Formats: sequence, structure tokens, C-alpha cells
Amino acid sequence: MIKTRLASILKYTFLFAVALISIFPLLWMFISATNTSGDVLGGRLLPGTNLVANYQALIARAEVGQALWNSFRNAIVATIASLAVCSIAGYGFEVYHDRGKDFLMRVLLLSMMIPFAAIMIPLFMMVGRLNLLSTTTAFVLPTLATAFLIFLFRQSARYFPKDIIESSRLDGLSELGIFLRMYIPVMRSTYATAGIITFMAAWNNYLWPLIIMQNAESRTMPLLLSNLVAGYVTDYGLLMLAISISVLPTVIIFLLLQRSFAEGIVVSVK
Amino acid sequence: MVVKARSNLRLETRQSVIGWAFVIPAALLIFVFYFYPIARALVLSFQTGIGANMQFAGLANYRRLLSDNVFKTSLVNVLTFLALQVPVMLTLALALAYMLHDKRLRFRAFFRTAIFLPCATSLVSYSLIFRSMFSLDGFVNALLINLDLITQPINWLANPWTAKIVIVLALTWRWTGYNMIFYLAALQNIDSSIFEAAVIDGAGALSRFFRIAVPMLKPIILLTAIISTNGTLQLFDETYNITNGGPANATISISQYIYRLSFQYSPRFSYAAAISFVVFVLVAVLAMIQMKVGDER
Amino acid sequence: MKKSLLKVLLCVLVLSLLTSSVALANQEVTVWAWDPAFNLYAMEEAAKIYHEINPDVTINIVETPWDDIQTRLTTAVMAGQTGTLPDIMLIQDNALMKNVIDFPNVFADLTDSGVDFDQFAGFKVGLTSVEGRNYAVPFDNGAAINALRTDVLAEAGYELEDFRDITWSEYITMGKEVLAKTGKPLHSIVAESPDLIMAGLQSAGTWMFDENGDVFIAQNDVLKEVIEVYVELVKSGVMVQVNDWEQYITSFNRGTVAGTINGCWIIGSIVLPEEQKGLWGVTNMPRLERSPNATNYSNQGGSSWTVRADSANKDVAIDFLKHTFAGSVALYETILPSSGALATYLPAGDSPTYAVPHDFFGGQAIYAEITEYASKVPQVKYGVYNYEARDAIGVAIAQVLAGRDIDSALMEAEETVRFLMEF
Repeated sequence: MIKTRLASILKYTFLFAVALISIFPLLWMFISATNTSGDVLGGRLLPGTNLVANYQALIARAEVGQALWNSFRNAIVATIASLAVCSIAGYGFEVYHDRGKDFLMRVLLLSMMIPFAAIMIPLFMMVGRLNLLSTTTAFVLPTLATAFLIFLFRQSARYFPKDIIESSRLDGLSELGIFLRMYIPVMRSTYATAGIITFMAAWNNYLWPLIIMQNAESRTMPLLLSNLVAGYVTDYGLLMLAISISVLPTVIIFLLLQRSFAEGIVVSVK
Repeated sequence: MVVKARSNLRLETRQSVIGWAFVIPAALLIFVFYFYPIARALVLSFQTGIGANMQFAGLANYRRLLSDNVFKTSLVNVLTFLALQVPVMLTLALALAYMLHDKRLRFRAFFRTAIFLPCATSLVSYSLIFRSMFSLDGFVNALLINLDLITQPINWLANPWTAKIVIVLALTWRWTGYNMIFYLAALQNIDSSIFEAAVIDGAGALSRFFRIAVPMLKPIILLTAIISTNGTLQLFDETYNITNGGPANATISISQYIYRLSFQYSPRFSYAAAISFVVFVLVAVLAMIQMKVGDER
Repeated sequence: MKKSLLKVLLCVLVLSLLTSSVALANQEVTVWAWDPAFNLYAMEEAAKIYHEINPDVTINIVETPWDDIQTRLTTAVMAGQTGTLPDIMLIQDNALMKNVIDFPNVFADLTDSGVDFDQFAGFKVGLTSVEGRNYAVPFDNGAAINALRTDVLAEAGYELEDFRDITWSEYITMGKEVLAKTGKPLHSIVAESPDLIMAGLQSAGTWMFDENGDVFIAQNDVLKEVIEVYVELVKSGVMVQVNDWEQYITSFNRGTVAGTINGCWIIGSIVLPEEQKGLWGVTNMPRLERSPNATNYSNQGGSSWTVRADSANKDVAIDFLKHTFAGSVALYETILPSSGALATYLPAGDSPTYAVPHDFFGGQAIYAEITEYASKVPQVKYGVYNYEARDAIGVAIAQVLAGRDIDSALMEAEETVRFLMEF
């Protein structure tokens, strides 16, 4: 009895400690958004009264609304498109697996392994020649399909009970129908995880938008943030506020989706 | 009999074709937007010159790598990070996921969110915090002195070994939650009756973890292992922002060196391409080994 | 016959008038630069001035960090897409030679464009020219200053004047006194940043490359002296090393150090804390002793305006710069008071605005003084491999501070730079 009690106390202590260490920098960031620049640099841990002033200075300084919208639109389109294309591919690689597809999967995995800086310029040339500079299409297209996502869906498909597929076929469902009606609902946790990961990556993408977004109107949040640190004098309160705003969408989407990957449906076929 | 065999064959072929139809769009996109640029980069790596003046030079760039001390240092650095950080992080993520999978645990949503948040925190802000926490009069030194573990403050970022430790800590802090949610999602797909049966059989928590959870999670563990290996060998953000490769190149990563060669120094894109290919081959070899060991149905 | 010829001539005349005004109407010149308080503000004021001269031209200013300008520039040139670049780009002087030489025909040759380069401080013109041709209009002044807390000095029994025209040994000696009597180091520096070393080199008229562009590190006696000074500064505690830029700024904002040595643009950060008003003073930086051409003047940072060579608006852009940054004293008078943006345009230095006393610095007329410093900065050429050498020196400093002897550290630095230059 005492042993399990002790184990339980240790477990909760450990988890609280880990949670606190994880969350502290983010908390500090939110608190700093309410302080003056001098206080932030001085390491102040308490909230201050400078939030409104920081906010006013921020919107006077940069087009935050526009950057937020650009980032959001790019990230949502990228996420939905990527999930659609990659999940069906991952499903295909696993459910219809054969030597050919297994080999192709390994080849596709290789595409992740080259640093982006090496392929950046050929990609830029392609986009330029297709006249797609500064468009959402150009932003989304290169990362629409990633070996990472396909691999994630393939590995996850291994948990998808094959009996469902068989019984669905007997029920007369088409292959596409099985994917849409059976696979997607059951693999909700994988979709939620993939969704949050892809959204975050698209939101935080810096280098690619930098070189293909040619005008100020198409600027995304990460680019806006880097302007804030690029001056000779940086206002750290303002900066922390901008960063806090930039981080919120990802956090909100995580909060919305987290139930899905923690409380998914477990299907057992009798 | 023959009719049935033929219709079976047609069914299998139809399914195989449909399978390929599912797979081709994504594969095509990857060939166009990854492999084509990769091929061009490969061609570039066989040339030399500065800026836009290029001439063919065979394996000159690759031979040059053998005598490049900064490259060698950066390679040792990322391999060190790989060895020190990835196994610890994945194990921690796995343990946390298993703990948070327990439906009876209280505050699960809070823990889950808190542990995930580091990877959503902006790079600019958390590198600022890490640099400030590990400064001479920073939080970490104050804590260690208070706990009587050290007497003099450690100059974390000025010493090659402690600087590496700071990077390892930063990487672990940032990516453990990220890997944890993959494991959490996968655990949802494992029938809980398996665990319940094990409890009835008298298996303890640790035993359930190692004998059931880990083997069943093999496909996802393989995924995170490959992703983490790839991520560590291509590391850029942390070494650029927290230590800037210092002190004296003690923490410089390969990607950071590539960035310097491409954008800060006189542009050496062909040499940078050659280095990118070495990284490519290295990650590919490690990934193939991992696949060989862990990819089974 | 004559009537129809007349009609044709008339048509041609009307048409040419129409097309020429169409060509002038609504031309847009795009500019990329960073920092709204300084560079962008100066551009906006320049745009206002030029609007009076040529109302059909709009100046479109896009805020872009320096690193991003470099990334976009490199990518665009390598991908053959220079059309994506703006008409005017602000370029760091440290990177100017590298970009002009590595990307031929991207930057317009401004030598015969009508811009009078004699009106600019000699060292800036030197930095913005390659093989005798000018490629940029000099702008931001980076003349090195030694800014000090006069109240802390007084506490140790010193005055600002004691620090004028001194040598590094004198600086260290006085610094030790200040440290002993007040507990404050004289200044701080970001660890491994080669900036102070660079300033020291330029103050003696030398650099890490010689006139032919060859590496000049291991045999460079000036460099050796500078590094010895650096080590002595750290060992004596007169200079304290911090981990990053934020901690550097905090150190003098919070008063944990008694001053700083940097380019004059650091003034923007010095004047942040209200409570330090009136407690600062500015003088020139210390000089080296063993080096034959040692001076008390140097440069740190600074940037200049370049024009894209294949831009459709090239002539307008050059005209714009000629009438503003290269010709308007009024511009420099306007931007000085609110931004502290100091020019390298010498006529502006004669303006009464520049002689106004500055409250924060105890009524010292710092702007006039700094413009005078700028005129005395030795000319050097940073070279194409500037960044490679800077990084190598940064590594060398760390090694020397950890105990390695200077000669072998510099030998390794030279080898690293040679390696990078070799292909």
C-alpha cells in the first residue's frame, strides 16, 4: 500500500517537475510581454503594466494582422493539402504493400535527408520560371508531400486492423470508400498528430517564405519577428508580445486537437 | 475453378493498381520537388567556383573535405550530440507517453500540453532564455551554488564541454514533447485489453512497459529514431542561436557550416552542396541500418 | 506634300511628348533596409525631400533585416532571378567588397554618375570602392568611440579628458584603478566577437589581408599586439566578456560596466536608461603602441546604399540618392536630432545642428566630435574574404584565452582562411 503510494507521489512529482521545466520559458515569454524592454533584459519574472503600451507600439511598428493572416492561410492550406496527399499515400504503401512499394518507400525516405540549403536555389529557379513567386501555391507546393508524413501514416497504418478492410470489402465498399469511411475515423489520433506537426512546421517556416515572398504584403509572422530583432536597438517587451501572439495559433490548435491523439477510438473486432 | 482463379487474380491486380494510384501523387510530388533539385545539387557539387562562375571539377570538392578541419569538427560535434542526446530523449519521451496514457492519471491534459509546448515556443525567445539562464550570473549557476554542488560559477558557454551540454539540454527540452505525442497517438491504437490482461496476469508497471508497450510501439519508435537522427545530423537552430557554434567551433553543426559557406562567406555553393551530400549519405546509411533492424510487419 | 509631312512631324512630336511623360509618371523605386529608428527613418525623410524635386517618383521602402538581404541577394543571383531584387539595397560595409566582386554586374558603377564622392569621409569611400570604381553611396557612420560614465570615472579620481588620445597601456592602467575603486570594469564585449580586434587593426591602418588580397594574419605584428592587448584586458578584469548581445547591452544599461567601445551607432542603446542622463561622455578610442601607424580612430560596422545595375529604374534611383544622401545637408540635419543618425557626408558636419550639445552626454557636442573622428579614420580594404577571416580570428581569440600561444593560434587561423580562399 505504502509502496504504491510512494510510487504515486514520485510519479506526480516527476511529472510536475518536467511540466514546470517545459512550461517555464513560455510563461516567461508571456510575462515579458507585459514588461518594458529594460525590465525584460533585467530578468524580471513578475508581470508588469506595459502590455497596452507594447501592443500599441507593436501595431504602429508592423503589420501584425496581415502577417498573422498570411501565416495562418499558408499554414492551413499546407496542412490540409499535405494530410490529404500523404495520408492516402501512407495508407497505400502499407495496405497494398509489395516489394515494389516497399522499395519506393525507402527511396522516398532519402528525400528528407538533404539539407534544405542545398536544394533551395534549384527550387527557387523552378518557382520563378513557373511565375509563382509570392503566391500561396509556391509556398505549399514543395512541402506538399513529405516523406516524413507518408512514413508516419504508413507506420500508423500498421495498427489499423486488416479485418476491417476485409469485412468492408465484403460489405461492398470501394477501396477509396474504405479509406475515407473506415481508415480516417479510426486513425483520428494520427491525423491529429500529423495535423499539429504540419501546421507548426508551416507556421514556423522561415527560409522558404523569405526567398519566394517578394513583397511586404505577403510577409509571414516569422519574417515579421526577425525584423523586430534586426535593428540597432531592440524593444524586448514589444518583441516578446509579438512572439506571444505568434505562438498562440499553434497552442490553440494543439489544445483543440489534443483530445484526439490522447483519447482516440480503439476498435476491436469481435 | 479457372474462372475463380482468374477473378481472384483480377481482384489482386485491381487492388494493386488502386494501391499505386493512392501512392503515385505523393511520390510524384516528391520526385519533382525534392529529387530533381537534389540531382541539380549533386551536379553542382562536381563543380568549383565562387558566386556564379562555375567550372567542372570532378571529385575536387569531396577530396577537399578530407582536409577541412572545420568540417571535421562539425561532423564530430553532431555525432556527439546524436550519441548523447537522441537515445536519452526518445526513452524519456516513451516513458512520459506511457505514464500519460494511463487513464487514471490526474491532470493528464495539463501534463500533455505543458510537455508539448517547448516545441511550439519560438526559437528566438527560448534561445534568449537559455543563454541568460546559463550565463555566469544566471539561474543555473545560482541554483547549483545554492545547492552546494559547485563553489564557483561555471562559464557554461565559454567552455567546449559545458557548451555541448547546454546544447544537449536545449535539444532535449525542446524535442521530448514532440516525440512524446507520436508515442501517445500510437498508444491509442493499441487495444487496452492487452494491458488489462497483463495486469491480471500479475505483470508490474515496468514489465508491462518493456514487454508490451515498447515492442508494440516498434513502428513508431523506428519513425522517431529516423526523424531524430535526421534532425540531429542536420541540426542548425540551437547551435546557431544559443552558442553560435562556439566556443572556438566546439558546437558548430554541419548545417551551420553550410549556411556560412553559402551566405556569410564568399558563396561556395558547390562546396556546400558536396558537404550536403556527405550529410545525405550519412543519414541514409544510419536510416537504412535502423530500417533493417526495426522495419518488420 | 508639305502638309502631310507637317502632320506626320506633329504626330511624332505629340507622341514623343506623351510617351516621355508616361515614362516619368508614377515610377516606383524600391528600397530594402533594416532598422526603422535609423536607416528607414532616414530613407523616409529622403523620400520627402525628393518628392519636392520629382513628384512623379514614389519611394517604396520595405523593411528587411541585413541577413535576409544577403540571403535574398545571393539566392536571386545564383538562380538568375535578379529581377526579384529591389532598386536600392543597404549593404553592410563588411560585406560590400565580397558582394561586388563575387556578383559581377549586379551593382551599378556609380563613379561617373554625378555623385560627388569627395564630400564623404575618406575611409567610407575606400570601403565602398573596388579597384578605383565606386559602388555605393556611403551612409551610416561607424566611427569608433569610447563612451564612458563620467560619474564612475570621477569616483576613481579621473576625468573624461584623461581618456583622450591615450594608449591601450594607459587605458588598462587607469581601468585597473577604476576597477579597484568602484568595482566596475571599464567595458564589456560579447565573447569571441572579433569586433574589438577589427577596430584595433583598422586604427593602425592594417587589416587581415594585404594590398594584394593575400592573407596577412600570422605575420601581422599589429594583429599580435591587438590580441595581446585583448588578453591583457580580459586578464586584468578591465574588460569583461559576456555571452550575447542582450547581455552586452544590459551591462552598460544597468551600470555593471563603466562604458563601452564600439561604433558610434551604439549611442542609440546607451541613451535608453533615463536615469543615466548627463552621466556619460564620449572620447576617441585608445591606440596601439608598437605599431608604426597607430591612431586613436577606427571604424566598426556601417553600411552604404547600392543600386542594382540591371534595374529599370536605375537612373531615377541614382538621381534620388544624388539629391538626398549625396547632396542634401538638410536631410542630415533633419534626421540627426531624433535618431542620432550620424552621417559620413562631410558638409553636414559643418552644420550648426551637429554642434548642438547633447544632454545625455553632459552637454558635450558629440555629433561634431564624432564627425571629426570620422575624417581621421584610416582607410583599409575589408576584402572579399572578410567574414572567413573574422570567424577564424574569433576562434583564435577563444583559443588564446584558453591558454594557447598567440603564434600557433594565428597560424591556424591563417591556414583556415587560406583553405577557404583556395577554391
